[in-house]
Amino acid sequence: MGYLGEFEQLILFSVLQLEDGAYGVSIREAIEARTGRVVSSGAIYTTLGRLEERGLVSSTVRDANPGRPGRPRKYYALEPSGARALRDAYDTIQAMAAGLIPRLARARAGLMAPYERHRAFRDGSLG
Amino acid sequence: MSASGHGWPRLLRRVASRLIRSPDARFILDDLDELLARDLERGMPRWRAVARYVRNALVSAVSVRRGRAPSSTRGGGRRGGGVRGADEAGGPLPVRARRGRPRLPRLPGISWLDLKLGARMLVKHPGLTLVATFALAIAIPVALIPPQLWGALSAPLPFEDGERIVGIENRDIADSQPEQRSLHDYEAWRAGHTSFEALGAANSGVQNLVTGDGSAAPVRGSVVSASTFDVVRVRPLFGRVLVEADEQPGAEPVVVLGHDLWRSRLGADPRAVGRRVELGGITRTIVGVMPEGFLFPYSDHFWVPLQARAVDYERLAGPSLWIYGRLADGVSLERAQAELTAVGIRAAADHPSTHERLRPVIVPFMALVTGLGGPGSSALPARILCTFLLAVACGNVGTLMLARASTRSNEIAVRTALGATRGRVVGQLFVEALLLALLAAAAGLAFGDWLVGRMVVWNSFFPFWFDLGLTPATVVYAILLAAFSAGIAGAVPALKATGSDPARRLQGVGKGAGSIRFGVLSTVLVVAEVALGVGFLTAVGAMTPGMLRSSGAPGIPADRYLAARLLLPRPVVPDPSAPPDPEARAARVGRIQEEIERRLLTDPAVRAVTFASALPGMDHPVRSVEVEGAPPSPSGAVARTATVQVASGYFEELERGVEAGRGFGSADAEPASRVVAVNRSFVQHVLGGRSAIGQRIRYPGGAGEPPGPWYEIVGVVPNLGTGVTPEAAAAVYHPAGPGRISPLRVAVRLASEPVAFIPQLRRIAAEVEPALIVEDATPLDQAFSIQRWGARWSALLFGLLAAIALALSAAGLYALVSFTVSERRREIGIRISLGAQSAGVVRSVVARALLQVGVGIGLGAPLAAGLVGRVGGSVVMVREWPLVLSLVSALMLAIAAGACARPTLRALGIQPSEALRE
Repeated sequence: MGYLGEFEQLILFSVLQLEDGAYGVSIREAIEARTGRVVSSGAIYTTLGRLEERGLVSSTVRDANPGRPGRPRKYYALEPSGARALRDAYDTIQAMAAGLIPRLARARAGLMAPYERHRAFRDGSLG
Repeated sequence: MSASGHGWPRLLRRVASRLIRSPDARFILDDLDELLARDLERGMPRWRAVARYVRNALVSAVSVRRGRAPSSTRGGGRRGGGVRGADEAGGPLPVRARRGRPRLPRLPGISWLDLKLGARMLVKHPGLTLVATFALAIAIPVALIPPQLWGALSAPLPFEDGERIVGIENRDIADSQPEQRSLHDYEAWRAGHTSFEALGAANSGVQNLVTGDGSAAPVRGSVVSASTFDVVRVRPLFGRVLVEADEQPGAEPVVVLGHDLWRSRLGADPRAVGRRVELGGITRTIVGVMPEGFLFPYSDHFWVPLQARAVDYERLAGPSLWIYGRLADGVSLERAQAELTAVGIRAAADHPSTHERLRPVIVPFMALVTGLGGPGSSALPARILCTFLLAVACGNVGTLMLARASTRSNEIAVRTALGATRGRVVGQLFVEALLLALLAAAAGLAFGDWLVGRMVVWNSFFPFWFDLGLTPATVVYAILLAAFSAGIAGAVPALKATGSDPARRLQGVGKGAGSIRFGVLSTVLVVAEVALGVGFLTAVGAMTPGMLRSSGAPGIPADRYLAARLLLPRPVVPDPSAPPDPEARAARVGRIQEEIERRLLTDPAVRAVTFASALPGMDHPVRSVEVEGAPPSPSGAVARTATVQVASGYFEELERGVEAGRGFGSADAEPASRVVAVNRSFVQHVLGGRSAIGQRIRYPGGAGEPPGPWYEIVGVVPNLGTGVTPEAAAAVYHPAGPGRISPLRVAVRLASEPVAFIPQLRRIAAEVEPALIVEDATPLDQAFSIQRWGARWSALLFGLLAAIALALSAAGLYALVSFTVSERRREIGIRISLGAQSAGVVRSVVARALLQVGVGIGLGAPLAAGLVGRVGGSVVMVREWPLVLSLVSALMLAIAAGACARPTLRALGIQPSEALRE
């Protein structure tokens, strides 16, 4: 099905979440709301363009508010192949991550300065 | 949304639309507008909303251009930590640098294609490439000279913390002239300072060094204070440096030797310390040898202690000194200067008669020993001047580029119509010029480097830290200059060529006429270049034959003579008990001269010995001269002649007997005798061929001075090479007794090879007087060629300038005429179809070019006259230069005609049918 990069996964999840309201601004805001990351409109459209080429999403241009003045928008929808690819990517990462999260925390702790580690244990953020 | 409707949001959108090139650009721009409107609706300050917009637009443009979104399919994870909430925090947006294949930075409007096209244009127009590269290859190094010299001079001394070593000078408040006789002040500053770690003083000069084996040669070295070695912080290679005990009166005379001297004169003897050498007539014990490369303070090879106490001298008397110091740690220049100024003000109050107008000033060490770059001076004026010269050369090249752009106006118009932006077109023409300028800069740097390599012979002429070699900074500056040149020569014409409305330019396609104007500037340049070319070429042409003719040639078999200058140095530290006595000194030099002559003549290899202030083939000093009873010249010009003092028997010893009258006897050498001999050129040019014997001459005084005494001419001698400038062809010989000849030069005629006799001459001189310096010892024919070297270089320089002016003016004329032809193609076609004669067509095409050449020659003639008058003014040249001028003018016209020929033939070849169809 092909590899999906992290940013592509974020976009596809946003399209999934927004259903038929997925266009540039709303995708940007969805990513920002869930991850706190601010992304540029250019990056979003470029990625969507590439995903569309691969048949993972489709787009339609239609008026934002039918019957009222305003510019038409380009809306995106998830194609079945896109949904499959996203599922695969998510499964892959889950399968790889299974049982490893506590070890990840310890690995992080190994990189910490002693006082940081002490504080992390006190706060209970280390597993 | 409403934000995009009008006013500044619309402007933002327009700007963003230029940046974002994508099939989805419309939607991206809509999104940007929508986000802006939302930000404003939420009550965000307008500036902040705009800032967010601009940032989003820029990042979008970059993302789109890379064709790839951030955190996408390839490469590692996103940058750590700082991304979360980055927008609000003002941190970086999540844009990652692409990995893998490196890419050239993209300049707007410039691409590899431009470079390729530019290179192709250079090959396609070899004439223009050659002329423009030639001009810029001269102009760019010229613009490089001031910063390069300045950088080499003002480089910090190559010692530990060398930049903290500074010079201190007593300067006159009124004219900031330095006063170097500052022994009293040196002692006062040493006693009173806190800002300096150490203060030192030195006086550099040449002295004769005689080593144990009797060999002698002059060496440059210094009388220095022992504290000097604390200032420079350099340890000896072995032995010791000078110490304060060495400075005490009556201390054993010692010397510290430089590395070169130790190697060349002592054979790198490891037991040199303790050996004795005779230096300037004083036997000194070697106490140490300094490491290689140590030549402080100028280009010095030995150091002897400064034994001078201020109490022995009046103020502003005693030795001249360079005074320098090392700033103490943490002390600023300002603080040190303030302390010295306070000392200076105190000295002015205590000793108003001598110190009222003197103040100590801290100067760069370079300024102290070279006299260049005192306080407030810089290389800036020279830099501006040289950059201006470069700009003029670039203006010329720019004219050529403009002319070429005019023939390419169709191409430019078509490219514009096909969607090339003005930036793209200008960019391409700029790149063409840049390639040219870089080529020229590389050629210029290579030439300059070669030239610097040839100047190694002048090494001792420059201070020891002076290194003219290419540095990265030089190369960077050269590249900047090349870019600057390309800006003038490429971008400006390009902007001019692309300035008008593309639609109008497109209308002109196929008609062979651009909408480019050939401006006043180019006319001025062509006229100026013709004038310069005529002026310089005439001057060179008039001078060169004079230089190559008899005036310089020695007129004797110079390869059989050894020439040398004999110099008795004055003591660096004057004896406080005995004031200088010129008569006693002259008597001493006279005794030395007679003794050397006597000893030389006992040597079997020596055939003859004579003395003079200048020998045949060398440059003789030139003075104005007046002949008794001669009518003043109608032009008011004063005759000039070379003058020389010679020992009695001079002409006989040189085997060139007198031609008329008599030679000099020993009675003539008395100062009161007032007789002279003149050479054949003098008779010819100054006396106008009249009989010389018995005539009287004198030297007019300077402004406000009475003329000198009359001298009677008693003999006429053949021409004996009295100088390379034609005005030195005439010569007057004054007899002078022993000790009266200054500078004293000896000529020794030998049966064997003169070079082999140099050590023997030095040995004899050192036996007679150990302090006597034998300088410039060389076969006389070589002395002659050294003298000619300078003249040749100046002729070469003039010739080069003339060649540049010539090439540029020819190219400018070519450009002008080609342009005229292409502009009037249609008109010419119509005129030919109506039966116009070829002559009329040619006239109309070349009229302007010929006018420019005519005006240029008209302006060049007075320039040539001025140059000839200034450089020579000699009788020889003045008579010939109008002939040279007319030859040069004819050459100029021929070159102009050549430059006009091709475009004119093109004009004549225009087919009426074709021209009318256009």
